Amino acid sequence: MTICRATRYSRLVLLLASVLTGACSTDIIIDGDYPSALTRQLPYHVGLVLDDTFTHYTFVSSQEQDVTMSLGESQIGLFNQIFGDMFKSATRFNTINQASTSKVNLVVVPHVEEVQLAMPFETRLNVFEVWLKYNLQVFDSEGEPIADWLMTSYGKTQSRLLTSEKEALNQATTEALRDAGVRLVIGFHRVPEIQDWLASQQTSGTLAQGDSP
Amino acid sequence: MRHSVVTPTASLALMIVSLTACSTSTIIDEFRETNLDLELSDSEQVVVMGRRHAGEYETEPDFIDCIGNRLANGGKVSVMPEQQFLDSFYPWFEPRVAPLKLKRMSTMLNDPLIAERINSLSIRYLIWVDGRTETTEKNGTISCAISLGGGGCFGFSSWDKSANYEATVWDLKQLDEEGRVKVSTEGSSYVLAVVAPIPFIAQVQGDACVGIGDRLKGFFNHVEPEP
Repeated sequence: MTICRATRYSRLVLLLASVLTGACSTDIIIDGDYPSALTRQLPYHVGLVLDDTFTHYTFVSSQEQDVTMSLGESQIGLFNQIFGDMFKSATRFNTINQASTSKVNLVVVPHVEEVQLAMPFETRLNVFEVWLKYNLQVFDSEGEPIADWLMTSYGKTQSRLLTSEKEALNQATTEALRDAGVRLVIGFHRVPEIQDWLASQQTSGTLAQGDSP
Repeated sequence: MRHSVVTPTASLALMIVSLTACSTSTIIDEFRETNLDLELSDSEQVVVMGRRHAGEYETEPDFIDCIGNRLANGGKVSVMPEQQFLDSFYPWFEPRVAPLKLKRMSTMLNDPLIAERINSLSIRYLIWVDGRTETTEKNGTISCAISLGGGGCFGFSSWDKSANYEATVWDLKQLDEEGRVKVSTEGSSYVLAVVAPIPFIAQVQGDACVGIGDRLKGFFNHVEPEP
């Protein structure tokens, strides 16, 4: 009888502990849809190398409140979409070795350099903010490096009271990823080294991104 | 002997608050290039967009939806939802790169890719709305307590809200600005708590939406104002 009661209490304590621990942590899988980009396609085959560190990227923050955000799937969706829209064809690879043995004109290897998060309890503002920093390594068909492009993006959300913390974080991160798409479409062709490479390929024009507003 | 929890003083306060609460005042300024109504064929569409380029605020998406619904006037004006427009033209109207001036819009339309999409979707007017609703002052406190015998809240709280927005109408066919509507709405809200909290909420943003939406409706020829 005493043992049974003790077991009940320990279960209750465990349940209470897990509820309290859970109340102070946020685990979220970022889930966003990204539209097709309105841009002219470059007449090249691009190899997009999304390795394990990129596809399974998880941001963990333990400042005051534990936050775990899995960005991998959402990043894959964005980069596949944008590079598919920007180039005549885009092939995805898991490793750079796979890309080097295939016939592609360019190889792009994105890495997540940094993720920063600002939550209302930190800023005293009624917004969630997310900063993403990527490093895009670009190689030619011979595997020679062309450029290392550090690209940052930003997303925020409002209405803290109207959405749950998870929804707000998802919204802010999705906005930041959407902004990363803007940077890719508008900025990729403006990176000087990539511009030089494009010029060397004697393309007929710099296409939408170079000439467009 | 206790007859009622609500005392005569509280009742009087409630009456006074009821009579004076929730009032909003709205000032609308309108500027139009011409007194003639704007042309809009049945196949053409209008888009209402919020400005989100400033770091410290962004025009609320639900306010943009509200103006769009008001302007649509039960289907008399075809209004494309903001998100649909943003997705159709991604990334050219995202906050980072959206045109702030008509000159920039004109440059964008020189790109056949964007111009063709505008034509294929029959988008004639772009209405930019810039502004926000903010709480300007907050006073009072409300305390709530709960015990085995029951619970309740006591106190009084009030806050003022201010909504300031400006809508600018761009004609994408003529490439000119057709007019502006500026609305400024202020209002005070109260919560009186005598056991249960009784809110008196001023619809500041709602009134601003009605003010700006109705004026914008008046820009288009075949739209009759609602009674």
